[in-house]
Amino acid sequence: MRAVWAIAANTFREAVRDRVLYLFIGFAVVMVVSSKLFGMLTVGNETKIIKDIGLAAMQFFSMLIAVMMSMILISREVDSRTVFNILAKPVRRWQFILGKYLGLVLIVAANLVLITFVLMLTVLVAAGELDLMLLFAGAMTMLEMLVLAAFATLFAVLTRPILGSLMTLAVFVVGHMSADLWLLTRQLPGALTRAVIAVVYYLLPNLERFNFRTEVVHDLAIPGAAAGWAGLYAIAFVVVVLFLANLRFRGKDLK
Amino acid sequence: MKRTFGTFAVITILLGAVVLSEVRLGGITREDPLGRELLYLPSPEMLRIMSLGNPGLVADVLYLWSIQYYSFYRPHERFLYLETVYNLITDLDPLYVDAYRIGALIMQIQTGGDQNEIDAAVRRLFDKGLHNLPDDWQLAEAAAWDFYIRFKDRETALHYAEIATQRPGAPPRIKRMVGVWRDKESAWTLDDSIEYWRRALEDAENEWDSVLCMNQFYDAVTARDRKKLEPLLEAFITHYGICPASWEDLIQAGALRQVPLDAFGDPYGIGLEDCGLVAYKKFKNQ
Amino acid sequence: MADIQLSVKDLQKTFHPGLFEASIAVLKGLSFEVARGEIFGFLGPNGAGKTTTIKAITEIIYPDTGEITVCGLPHTSLEAKKRIGFMSESPYIYRHLTGREYLGFGGELLGLDRSGLADRISRVLDQVGMSGRADRTMGTYSKGMLQRVALGQALLGEPELLILDEPMSGLDPVGRRDVRDIILNQAAAGVTVFFSTHIIPDVEMICDRVGIIVDGRVRAIGTVSELISDETTGYEATFVGALPADLRTPLDAYHVASGASWVRVTTENRDNLIQEFGDRGIQVVSLDPVRTTLEDLLMRHYEESGS
Repeated sequence: MRAVWAIAANTFREAVRDRVLYLFIGFAVVMVVSSKLFGMLTVGNETKIIKDIGLAAMQFFSMLIAVMMSMILISREVDSRTVFNILAKPVRRWQFILGKYLGLVLIVAANLVLITFVLMLTVLVAAGELDLMLLFAGAMTMLEMLVLAAFATLFAVLTRPILGSLMTLAVFVVGHMSADLWLLTRQLPGALTRAVIAVVYYLLPNLERFNFRTEVVHDLAIPGAAAGWAGLYAIAFVVVVLFLANLRFRGKDLK
Repeated sequence: MKRTFGTFAVITILLGAVVLSEVRLGGITREDPLGRELLYLPSPEMLRIMSLGNPGLVADVLYLWSIQYYSFYRPHERFLYLETVYNLITDLDPLYVDAYRIGALIMQIQTGGDQNEIDAAVRRLFDKGLHNLPDDWQLAEAAAWDFYIRFKDRETALHYAEIATQRPGAPPRIKRMVGVWRDKESAWTLDDSIEYWRRALEDAENEWDSVLCMNQFYDAVTARDRKKLEPLLEAFITHYGICPASWEDLIQAGALRQVPLDAFGDPYGIGLEDCGLVAYKKFKNQ
Repeated sequence: MADIQLSVKDLQKTFHPGLFEASIAVLKGLSFEVARGEIFGFLGPNGAGKTTTIKAITEIIYPDTGEITVCGLPHTSLEAKKRIGFMSESPYIYRHLTGREYLGFGGELLGLDRSGLADRISRVLDQVGMSGRADRTMGTYSKGMLQRVALGQALLGEPELLILDEPMSGLDPVGRRDVRDIILNQAAAGVTVFFSTHIIPDVEMICDRVGIIVDGRVRAIGTVSELISDETTGYEATFVGALPADLRTPLDAYHVASGASWVRVTTENRDNLIQEFGDRGIQVVSLDPVRTTLEDLLMRHYEESGS
C-alpha cells in the first residue's frame, strides 16, 4: 500500500501545482460568494437562493474538477509515458490505478471542503445561522464524486483524454437523468425492451441517490437509511468500476 | 508600433459595432401577429431533467427572472403567462413558499383581465401551496389576509384562516381572528388589524415571520393614517386651490400639529401627481 | 557457467493497431542472455525492436510468447523488479516535481527505508552530477539534466541489473562521456548493465558483449572482437595529386580532400594500384589495410533482413 499512497500523494501534488485547478476553485468561490448578490434581488427568503446556488456550485465544480483533472492526471500520465518508470518498479498495475484514483479523490475532496466552508460562511454572514446540514450536503456530493471519479479513472485507461472526459461528463448527465428515463421507459411496450432498459438503468449510476439538496435547503428530515444506503451504493459502484479499470489496464500494452 | 495601434483601432471599432448591434437588437421587440409578447417556457419535466439534480436552483432563477419581468411596466398581456410561470416555479420546487406568496401577490395587483378569473387563479396557487406544504400555517394566514384585504372576500378568508389554525405551530392570534371573522355582526376594523399584526410581530419566531408581520402591520397603520390624512389634503386643495408643498403648509393652516410619521417613525410624503399620501416603507424584505 | 542475470528466450510480440490496420510483428523469436557483471550492448537500427524488448522485460508490454527471467526470477515478480534499475528512452518526467522529489517518489515506489532515503538520494544526485540543481522543478531542466535525473532514479535502488534504453541519445559529448563513466563505474561495482543503442562508437567503447538486433531477431551476438573479423578486406591508399582519369585498377571508393585524396581497392587489386600510381608518378602518402567494422556488420545484417 505504500506505493499506492506514494502515487496518490504525487497525483495530489501534481494537481496542486497545476494552475488549471485554481481556475476552477476560483470560479467556484466567486459563484458561492456572488450568490449573496443574487439573494439581494429576491423578494422573500434570501438564504434559500444562497444555499441553492452554493450547493449547485459545489456539485458542478467538483464534477468539472473530477472530469478535467482525470484527463490531466491519469490520461496524461499514460499518454506521456511517465507511467513507464512507475510500472518498471515493484508496483502492480492495480496499485497504479488505485493510487491515481485516490489522488483524484483527494483533490476533489479538498475542493469540496473549501467550497463547503465558503458556503457556510456566506450563509452565516447573510442569515446569521450556522447550517450544519450543509456539511451533510457536502458529504453526499463527495459520494457522488467518488462514483464519478471512478468512472473518470476507467475512461482514462480505456481511451484518449478528450474522449474519456466527454464520456465522464456523459455519465454525469445520464446519472442525473436515469430516474426520469426509467419512468419514461416504463411506458414502452414489450417486456424485453423494458428488461433491457432495466439492465442499463442498474448498470449506470443513479446520481440522484446522492441528491439531498432539497432536504437541506428546506430543512426537511432525512431518513438515515437513505444516507446509509447511498454510502453503500457509492462504495459498491466504486469497487466495481475500479475493478473494471484494472481489468482493462492489467492487460494493456503501453506504447 | 503602428501595427499595434492599427490592431487596437480595428478591435475598438469592431467592439463598438458589437455594442451598437446589441443595443439596437435590444430595442426590437419580438411580437406575434396579435401583438402579444412571445415567451418560451419549457415544461417542468424538461427543466427538471436539464437541471441535472438542481431543480431548486432553476426555480430560483425563474423566480428572480419573474420578479424582474413583472416589475417593469409592459403590455398587460404579460400577465397571460403569470399562472404558467408560477406553476412552473412551484412544480420545480414545490416547497418554495415565496413563489406562492409573490405569485399570488402579483396576480392580485395585475392590471387587466377578468377579476373572477384572477380570483380563481389566486385560489389555485394558494391551494397548490397549501397542499405541498402541509405544515405551513404562514402561507394559509397570508392567503386569508390577501382575500380579506384585497378581494374583500370574508368567506374565502375565513376558509384559509381555519386551515391555518389546524396547522402545527399556528399562533393563538389566528384563532382569535377566526373567532371575530365568524361573527359577521361585528366588523373587523383597521384598528383590529393593527392590533392583530402588532401582536403577530411580538409572537414572530423567526426573521421571515417578523418581516411578514412588519409588512402587514405597516400596511394597516398606513391604511388608518391614509383615512385620516387624505381628507385633510383634499380640504386644503379645496380651500387654497393647490396641493400643499409639504406638511408644513398644513401645520401653518392649523390642520395638523406636527408632521405625520409612519409606523417606523419616518415622515409620510405627499404625492406630486395625485396629492395623495405617500408611504416610503423604509425597511428591506430580507 | 556464468551467472545469468537476464535471460530472454524466444520472445515474440505482434502489435495490432486497429481493426482496419495490418498487424505489426516486432519481435520474431528473440533470444539472448546477459551474464552477471557484464556490460551488454543491444545494437540495432531504428525500428529493430530494441525498445519493445526492454518494455517486455520491464512488463510495460506483454509478449505473445517467450520466457524472460531477471536475476533468476520470473520478470513479472515484484522481487525481480526490485533488482532492476530502469531508464526509459526519453526521460518522461513530472514537470511539477523537483529532481529531489522525483527521486523521493521513486524511493517510495521501491519501498526503500525512509530513514536513510534522503542520504541515498543525495548520494545518487552526486553520482549523476545533479546535486546543485536538484531543487529546481524538472520543467526547467535541459535534456542532459533530465537524462541524469532519469539515470539517478534507475540507480536509486542499488539495482543488480541496470536496463537503459538509449541512455546517451540526444546528449552532448560531455554528457555522453559522463553517462559512459557512470556505466563503467556501475559495472566495476558488480552491476550488470544492459543498454540499447544505435550509436556504434558507444558500443565499441564500453561493451563487453554486443547483441545485434535487426527486424525483431538477434542476428549476431558476442564480444566486439568476436564479431569483427581480423581479415583484411581491402586497402586504402592516400595520395597527393589528381586521380588519373584513365586509371585501370577498379576502385571501391574515391574521396577528394584539400590536402590529399584517398582511394579504396580490394586486396587483390592492391599491387595493380601501386604499380599504376608508380608508373604515373603519383606520390602515395600511406597505404592502410581495411577491416570489417561493427557498422559494416550491422549494415550487412540490415540488408540481409530485407527491412
